[in-house]
Amino acid sequence: MDTTLLVTVVLVVVFALVFDFTNGFHDTANAMATSVATGALKPRTAVVIAGVLNLVGAFLSTEVAKTISSGIIKTDSSGHEMITPALIFAGLVGAIIWNLVTWYLGLPSSSSHALFGGLIGAAILGAGLGAISWSGVITSIVIPALLAPLVAGVAALIGTVIVYRMTKQATVPHAKPAFRIAQTVSASLVALAHGTSDAQKTMGVITLTLIAANVQQAGTGPQLWVILTCGLAIGLGTAIGGFRIMRTVGTRITPVESPQGFAAETASAATILASSHLGFPLSTTQVVSGSIVGVGLGKRLAQVDWGVAGRIGLGWIFTLPAAAVVGAVAALVAISSTIGLVAVAVVAVVGVAVIFRLAAKKPVNAGNVNEGAPEAAPQLQGAAA
Amino acid sequence: MIDIDWGKFAIVAGVVLLASVVLPLFYSGGVRLLETAGTTSAPARVGAWACFAVCIAAVLFGLWVVVPQFH
Repeated sequence: MDTTLLVTVVLVVVFALVFDFTNGFHDTANAMATSVATGALKPRTAVVIAGVLNLVGAFLSTEVAKTISSGIIKTDSSGHEMITPALIFAGLVGAIIWNLVTWYLGLPSSSSHALFGGLIGAAILGAGLGAISWSGVITSIVIPALLAPLVAGVAALIGTVIVYRMTKQATVPHAKPAFRIAQTVSASLVALAHGTSDAQKTMGVITLTLIAANVQQAGTGPQLWVILTCGLAIGLGTAIGGFRIMRTVGTRITPVESPQGFAAETASAATILASSHLGFPLSTTQVVSGSIVGVGLGKRLAQVDWGVAGRIGLGWIFTLPAAAVVGAVAALVAISSTIGLVAVAVVAVVGVAVIFRLAAKKPVNAGNVNEGAPEAAPQLQGAAA
Repeated sequence: MIDIDWGKFAIVAGVVLLASVVLPLFYSGGVRLLETAGTTSAPARVGAWACFAVCIAAVLFGLWVVVPQFH
């Protein structure tokens, strides 16, 4: 292996793990936001549970990894990957930067779409429009992205109506603790499912790179060290905490009470489990956000903040193209020379540092994550009935 | 022409809607029966735990789906 390729492969592995880490703290909110908002779990407990379950999930399944490494980017007529390690690296830079920008803004955007966008942008620039399997993009990204939040939202709405009807607007004794337990269980299932799908995505990227660099046989699965490091990166990112986005999801879209949290997490878990079982790489973030809008609509007198929901929706639309543009620009420089490659890495690291510095000025942590949650104005349940 | 497998999407939608009706129905049914049962009515308490059992079974099924080593 020549030096440039070696440097590239090392950079890809490092940046893929960094992406995985950002994926962890960006998406912690997905699984645990409603549990934290309703007080079912303490913020730190919630992120540790989510981190452990993400790590466990990483070891379990490989369905989604296959879609990443074979469904979106085409191979040429002789079966070689059309994307090179340098392009994958550029794609990761696009994904990481967009993930951090949306994290700074507290927007629950899709890490998966950021990753796909970055890779697609880099691949188009390096290998042309023909390198992309557009039917793969439509069937595995666009349609699920439109349908999944809708289905989860409608299901969560129905679930919420049922729960409140059955329990006289949750006024019966034991209702609150009972739903907190149910909510924690269903949220844990979401976290586990998140680990099985999202850690897989990064494993797929590293494996794709190793295959493209001819150090791993085509058609083989991720190696043990890849599975282990990816699982640890996403678990660590999750446990360190995504309180910034958690606050948006748990408290800003609509005030969530434990019966609603239960309905939302059940709908989310069912959506993620059913679709990952069939091999769709769904965005956990979008599913959970859809469910939360649904439970907001399902409860009498609850209000959905459509301003927040609209901003989130805009973030979804922009995620893939924005990450693609960053990925393409990074690719332009990265494929020029080894110096260009290293320059992109340096600029990316500086960019990450700047975003973290900005975020540190307005921190969101375990202490203020529930600011504005219904717990601040407690026991509205009976009054709302 | 892009070949889209709408059947798969329909399966997902069906499963999700089913789960979101069955689980809330049984779990909140269990909570409600537990209240009705109080300390006196044994049948209501049995009914409540039967409802919770359905929910536990659904969670276990979910775990079975997630972990490919089980199937």
